Amino acid sequence: MGFGDLKSPTGLQVLNDYLADKSYIKGYVPSQADVAVFEAVSGPPPADLCHALRWYNHIKSYEKEKAGLPGVKKALSKYGPADVEDTTGSGATDSKDDDDIDLFGSDYEEESEEAKRLREEHLAQYESKKAKKPALVAKSSILLDVKPWDDETDMAKLEECVRSIQADGLVWGSSKLVPVGYGIKKLQIQCVVEDDKVGTDMLEEQITAFEDYVQSMDVAAFNKI
Amino acid sequence: MAAAAELSLLEKSLGLSKGNKYSAQGERQIPVLQTNNGPSLTGLTTIAAHLVKQANKEYLLGSTAEEKAIVQQWLEYRVTQVDGHSSKNDIRTLLKDLNSYLEDKVYLTGYNFTLADILLYYGLHRFIVDLTVQEKEKYLNVSRWFCHIQHYPGIRQHLSSVVFIKNRLYTNSH
Repeated sequence: MGFGDLKSPTGLQVLNDYLADKSYIKGYVPSQADVAVFEAVSGPPPADLCHALRWYNHIKSYEKEKAGLPGVKKALSKYGPADVEDTTGSGATDSKDDDDIDLFGSDYEEESEEAKRLREEHLAQYESKKAKKPALVAKSSILLDVKPWDDETDMAKLEECVRSIQADGLVWGSSKLVPVGYGIKKLQIQCVVEDDKVGTDMLEEQITAFEDYVQSMDVAAFNKI
Repeated sequence: MAAAAELSLLEKSLGLSKGNKYSAQGERQIPVLQTNNGPSLTGLTTIAAHLVKQANKEYLLGSTAEEKAIVQQWLEYRVTQVDGHSSKNDIRTLLKDLNSYLEDKVYLTGYNFTLADILLYYGLHRFIVDLTVQEKEKYLNVSRWFCHIQHYPGIRQHLSSVVFIKNRLYTNSH
């Protein structure tokens, strides 16, 4: 990109051709892009380069509002037709050209550094998400049948005992009483466990430990979540 | 484009939400607007100027005396030359004149966007839509100006967007 050397007739010719079908360097409103190119041109283009001259006079009329125009001023090489070789870096040794070289250099570095930083941020986020994921998997929903000794057993107390069993990775759910005959009811209680941490045998052990109330325990249903 | 349709397009581009009712008068269907507290307004450019003032955008009619005169000149041009004549030859002459006029200007008045640009855009749209690629390149300045205006926020609305190819194919036909 770029227009070549805008102080030379060839550069101005490129600018003229570029502006033949455009009102501004970039887009449809005056912007910092126009300011950047305006400042690179040493004076009004000759009358035979009518498009460049038109553009020049137009941007000149924005002299006072230059700083307020939208956009960010970039190095000259960022503007212009895509197939023109950028010659702002090479050439004369006076300080203006040196500035251009610096502009070009730091701009480029800045951009790739930003891009790099963003990329690394995204990678880090992705990694952390990935690391968390396995912990979410491997849960099961278990439906337990807890049977009492007889119909005299206090079912409320029984439920209380069962719910008192606490373990890491164990969450008690809803429960209900299901009649099995002869006035006896069994407790059906739901729980969600993390497979790595809680197993059904551990649950059975702890529940049947309440010998006063619990006669036996069965797993009615076992579903992976 | 019918005058009433054009005027409602103009209303929207000016940011007016009113939706006036326009009636038509005479053989050539000249639009008429009945105002609340005054006489009725007749004529496309008259009503357009009135709408601009209603929308508080008087700068669209020009800021200096010369600019105002140029806006009026182009509004008159639009109604007499563009709407009046639509034969192929007339359009060609019109575009040729407009092309040489726009050589050193960004907008019709020079460097400021005005009502003249809006109405001429609406008026010429139906002709530009039918131009061939070669013709669009021949009238390069008109194409540049037209492309610029159609990208101006709020102007184009539902009108079709005319495509202007960036890389010129016929650079020798000047």
